[in-house]
Parts: sequence; structure tokens; C-alpha cells
Amino acid sequence: MSRDTPADREESTIHSDGGTEAAHEDIDYLDREVNLLRPSTPFMRDHLKIIWSSFVLWALVVFGPVTLTALAPEMMTVQTPIFGFPLHYFLVSLGAPTGALILAVVYTRYRDRLDQKYGIDPDSVESTAPETGEATAADGGVEQ
Amino acid sequence: MTVPLQAEALDISFKLVPAIIVFLMMASFLVIGYVFKVADTEGMWVAGRGIGNIENGMAIGANWMSAASYLGLAGLVALSGFYGLAFIVGWTTGYFILLIFLAAQMRRFGKYTAPDFVGDRFNSPTARALAAFTTLLIAYVYSVGQARGMGLVGQYVFGLDIIPMIVVMMTITVGYLALSGMLGATKNMAVQYTILIVAFLAGVYVVGFSQGYSTILPQIEYGALIADLGREFSAPFVNQPFYLWIATAFSLIVGTCGLPHVLVRFYTVRSERVARWSCVWGLFFILLLYWASPAMAAFGVDLFQATTGASAYAAEGGMSGAEGDVIVVLAAQFANLPTWFVGLVAAGAMAAAIATTAGLFITASSAVAHDIYTELINPDATQRQQVLIGRGTIIGMGALVTVTAFNPPALIGELVAYAFSLAGVVLFPMFFLGLWWENTNRQGALAGMVLGLLIWITSIINSVLPNYIGALGAAAGDGGALVPIYAQYVPPIGAALIGTPVVFIVTIAVSLATPEPPLETKKMVRQCHSPEPMGQQETAADVVGDSTSGGTPADD
Repeated sequence: MSRDTPADREESTIHSDGGTEAAHEDIDYLDREVNLLRPSTPFMRDHLKIIWSSFVLWALVVFGPVTLTALAPEMMTVQTPIFGFPLHYFLVSLGAPTGALILAVVYTRYRDRLDQKYGIDPDSVESTAPETGEATAADGGVEQ
Repeated sequence: MTVPLQAEALDISFKLVPAIIVFLMMASFLVIGYVFKVADTEGMWVAGRGIGNIENGMAIGANWMSAASYLGLAGLVALSGFYGLAFIVGWTTGYFILLIFLAAQMRRFGKYTAPDFVGDRFNSPTARALAAFTTLLIAYVYSVGQARGMGLVGQYVFGLDIIPMIVVMMTITVGYLALSGMLGATKNMAVQYTILIVAFLAGVYVVGFSQGYSTILPQIEYGALIADLGREFSAPFVNQPFYLWIATAFSLIVGTCGLPHVLVRFYTVRSERVARWSCVWGLFFILLLYWASPAMAAFGVDLFQATTGASAYAAEGGMSGAEGDVIVVLAAQFANLPTWFVGLVAAGAMAAAIATTAGLFITASSAVAHDIYTELINPDATQRQQVLIGRGTIIGMGALVTVTAFNPPALIGELVAYAFSLAGVVLFPMFFLGLWWENTNRQGALAGMVLGLLIWITSIINSVLPNYIGALGAAAGDGGALVPIYAQYVPPIGAALIGTPVVFIVTIAVSLATPEPPLETKKMVRQCHSPEPMGQQETAADVVGDSTSGGTPADD
């Protein structure tokens, strides 16, 4: 298993805020381990912070109401003023899907901001590959 | 074999205008396919680059929403009450997991079928074959639900009995597939989504408005009805226990993230940023239907009770499963709306079912022809042989699906959910670990996939097959399951709640116990997470400089 060298760690702590872009420039991402539980680059660390915090919120929105309904049915089935919905029905049928959508938007915006912070321009993706047969075949299969 | 369920309350007769609507719709798919086929041969590259956020979002919606979303979902909410909401939650919120963990990384990996990813990431033809076999199984189980939906709706439009109707509709689909498959119509998806969503929302709004249930927001206004619909509609856990609720929602969430035809969509986009935003748009477009579906279910149940004078619930001898499955069409019929309008709603369901079936069949045929036949059985297969095998697969599967759909073991939504739990148990752990832990190796993947398949298949044998096979049925007795405790904790519909973590643990343990994967593979994974922009047509393997997989043309 490849691990960070002490020098790597030092570099990433030193530049953790002001120098992110500079540190990012020096990193060869193909030499850094990918491990969900042990991020090896400042970028990955920042990214995982967003991922995990939004994931926790997602889990609460999705499984919270139904679990509460199982634990405290009386409290959760009260009729709400919103068109007479029982609370649990409202939170599960409308709250959870809508919550996931809002979180998805929030995550994606934060992720875009992360690109900015590291000076990455995703739209700079240029068509490096020529028109090859590969491209054609790839897109032809895409329909499925 | 019992007599197949017919939807008694459905007005079964030949209807000219709805038949014309369905015919025109199918014709338009073919025309669009033909028009864009020309553009595609001119410059597939340009067409590919043109896929943006919104268009890809719509394609995700069309690709994803089948008869299970259009018909089955409202049927489940109508018949299973609060348990039905597990399907709404599972089929929508999974997109968030897909977004944060998989979409952009998949885009960077750059391959585009599930077997491709698994085969290349784990350097194993056997892993590729297992993934291909799983893809085939998913397509089969998934299609049975579609065939049933087409049969039921076809009854309304063409007025035949359900068995001949399923045969006719499946024949049309396979024929359509032969034509459209050749035309290669990527643009069709956005059109199919539009038809589907317009037909569905028109149904909800018009039924709600004409019956005085709602005005501008039926998605919320149906709340006022809930108290009148009886306990079964909203009381928690009266139909199914809490465990099954969670297991179902969990399986559908991880299943969404493991479904081959969903992940494929992220390859078509311009950049990983578009992959992320199109995932968000996809979720929004799907929610347009999922917000409205419970409203349609509530209207349908109320109208059913008002029209037939009986309670809608089975416990009181009410609505049958088949009627629940077409509640969307029934609601429009009970509301005394004009036949052409009900036909439009029915046509939307047909669009959903046909589009998804076509996609699934093509996925299955490529899995057999390319990933199983060419990679494993006959490496020297000619193009001609591959096409032949692919066609044979489509016809064979069409026949098998048709026969199974005569007497399906469950509601449309439940059938489709079986396919999701399969994807969640077998494929999701491979995608997730493959992308997020570079030390996942071949041995780990093989052990995990075999175990996942075993968990799912035993679960099906345990509680679905006894309905079909006399000897198993006798052994299972009244409970309907061979091993009741297994059926309780690993039900086919929620097999992933236990199955997926077990597969994760086994894959990790075996990977730790065996040698690490080669550095080249690890670098491929690192490339998937690197923030550096990469070329639009580049795959992670290209960047790493892996000459063995980077240069091969993509399969199809």
C-alpha cells in the first residue's frame, strides 16, 4: 500500500489554506493513493469534507422521518396544516425526494467552488483526440 | 398456473383514436431516429459533444423511467399505502449517492458499459463475464415488468385478452427494436421523456381539476384527500413492517447506483462537470413525475371507491393487483374524461415501457454477443457472428420475457425492484470500491460478485420460485417461502440491505488477503479522482498510458 511520505503531509498542512493552488500545482495526482477513508491530497480532503457532510444530511432526510415514524408513531402521524397531510406522509413522500434534490444542488455548487479554489477550469476540456473510429463507436453504443 | 389477472374495471375494447396516438408515437420515434442517424454518421463526434446538462438530464429521465415509474409506482402507493412510499424514496434519492460518489468518476474512467468497467478495472475476463451475466439477468427481470405494463395498457387501447396482448406488444417491441436499433437514435430519449411527462402530468392535472380535487398544485393538494381514503392509504407499517420498508428503499438506492443503463449516461457528456449537473437535472426531471405520482394514486383510490362502491383495499375484497397496476389509466377513465385523453395517458405508459425495454434488450444483447461470446467463447468471432448472436439474444429474451409476463409473480413495481436489488448487491459494490479504493483487486471482485449473485439467486429461489414450481411451492407451504427467516431478512425486493454490506466486507477482506493490483490499475483509479481536466475522448486508461485497453475500440 502506498502511503504519504512525511514530506507530503508537511506540504499539505503548510499550504492548507492560503497556498492551496500552489500546492495543487506541485502534486502529481497519479502518485497519490485513492482511499475513501484516507484522503492523500488537499484536494481530495476538501472534496471528501463536502461529500461526507452532505451524505450525513442526506441520510437524515431520507431515513430520518420513517425511522421516527417507527419509533414514535403517534407523534409522527398528527395531521399537519399543510392540506391535511399526516406529518409522516408529507415528510416521506415529498420531503425526502425534494431534500435529496436540494442537497444535490448544494453539493454540486460546492464542488464547483472547489474547482475555483484550486484554479481548475473544467470547461477548458478541449478536444485533444482527433475524430477517430473510437469516438464513433463509443457514441453509437451510448443510446443503451 | 393460475388465470392471469385482468384489470376488471378497465374498459377493454378497441379504441380507434388511442390506437392512432400509439401508432403515431411509435412512428415518430422511428422518424427521429432516422433523421439523427444521418447527422450521426456525418460527425458522431460533434453530436456526442453536444450533449449538455438539460438534454442529458432528460435522457436520464427517459432511460430510467419505465412502466414501473409511470404505472407501477402509483399502483404501489394505491395498493400498499405507506409502504409504497419506500419506492418513491428509493427510486429518487439514490441519484444523490450516484452524484457524490460515482457520476464524475465514472465519466473520467471513460468506459461505458458495466461489464467494460468491471473487466478493465479488475483485469479479469471472468469478472467481465460475471458482470455481463448480471446485466443479462437484470434486463430479463426488469423487462418482465415492462411486458406486463404493455399488456395491460394494450388491453385498454386494442381490446384483446391479456395473453395475446402481451404477445402482440412484445412482438411490436422486438420489431421496433430491430428498426430503431439500427437507426441509433440518441435524440429519441429527450422526446420520449417529453411525451411521458406531458402525458402523465396532463393526466394528474386534468383528473384533479375535473373532479374538484385540485387546482394548480395537485402534487400537494391531494393531502386533503388522505383522511378520507382510510387507514390503509397512509397509516404507517400496516401493510409491511419497518424492516421491509428500509430494506426496500435501501435496495432501490444502491440499485440505482449499480444499474448499467444509468451509468452509461455519464459517458455521453462533455465533461465531468456536466456529468454532475446533468445528474442533478436528471433527478429533477424524474421528480416531476414522482411528486405527482402519489396524487394520482390518491385520486385513483378515491374514484375507484366512488365508482365501484367498494373499498379499494384487498383486505376488503377491493382492487386487484392488475387494477392497481393501471390505476393511472383507470383514474382517467373513472373521471369520465374523453377516450382520446385516456388514450393519451395510456400512450405515455407505452412510451415509457417500450423505450426502457428496447434499451434493456440492447444492453443484454451486447452483454451476450460482446462480453460473453466474443470475450470468452470465441475470441475470433466475426462481426457477422456477433450480430447474429446479438439478434438471437433479443429474440430468445423476448420469448422468455413474454412467457414470464403471462403470469408474473408480483406487481410491475415490485418486479422491477427485484432487478434493482440484483444491481445493488452485485454491481454497486464493484463500482463503488473499484472507484474509491485502489487496492480492490481481481480476487476480491470475483469473490464479491459470486457471493452477491448467490445471495440474490437464493433469495429468489426461496420466495419467488415457489409460486411457479409445484414441488417448491409444496415445500414452502402457506408461507410461500422455503426458509421463512431468510425470506424475512433477505427478501428479493430488499436483498441489498444485508447483501450489499456483506459483499463489501468480503470484497475488502479478500482484497487485503491477496496481492495488490498492478500499479497501472491503481493509476487508472487515481486518474478518476484527479482534479486535472482531461480530454473529452480520453479514458483514464489512455492517460495512464495503458496500451492494452486504451486503444481498443469501444464495443457495442
